[in-house]
Amino acid sequence: MKRIEVRLSLAVVAPLLDVIKEAAVGLEQTLAAPPALQDLEAEFRTVWEGELLDAQNEDVRALLALFDGEFFSEGVVAFDADNAETVVRACAAVRLRLRARHLSGLTEEVLESGETELAKLPEAVRKAFMCYLFLATLQELIIQHLESSIIES
Amino acid sequence: MALFGKTQTSPAVRTEPETALAGQWRVVVLNDPVNLMSYVVMVFKKVLGFDETRARRHMLEVHEQGRSVVWSGLREKAEAYAFTLQQWHLTAILEADETH
Repeated sequence: MKRIEVRLSLAVVAPLLDVIKEAAVGLEQTLAAPPALQDLEAEFRTVWEGELLDAQNEDVRALLALFDGEFFSEGVVAFDADNAETVVRACAAVRLRLRARHLSGLTEEVLESGETELAKLPEAVRKAFMCYLFLATLQELIIQHLESSIIES
Repeated sequence: MALFGKTQTSPAVRTEPETALAGQWRVVVLNDPVNLMSYVVMVFKKVLGFDETRARRHMLEVHEQGRSVVWSGLREKAEAYAFTLQQWHLTAILEADETH
């Protein structure tokens, strides 16, 4: 099984974990991208949203599980065919949540390019934006190295 | 429907008058500034079975025009695709296809 290990800077990443955990708590009861299916009947919509929420929470738990004892002792996180799909999806959920909660003041151009003057951002926004970029980097790594595993699963 | 750890390809079954499900429906993906282009391409390949070229074409259509019709057909299957795309955190809507 193909596996990639990524060595991260504890000093850089550890402070971002609080941001991810805060977003994870927010996602327990809220979909990252609310369904835009207005014409569904209420009962079916409720079931639909509940199932999406269950799946989202499972994904986010897999993301949080990356940052376990090995991460804090070695600074390493590992991806393989078993967790690539859930982690890449969880990163999307958390990034959407960060946008909704902390980054709504940034333009779409900044969110798409990832480029802005960090020093000019308020601390909470700067931290959330760094987390947003960090999760995008994880997604890019996974897609670049494990896309075939995801698509074939 | 249990969704733990695996992507579902269909939402829960519902019962509804047959007439409400009749006709052709479109699955439309809307743009968002958060999801990466590479991620959207991967999701289109994974969920809709597109090849790389087709997935990139639809991704660019979403990016440049704000929306792309990624599938059309019967309502029940359109719902299944919309559900799965939403599971991947893309914004997907259904539209009645008036051309049929």
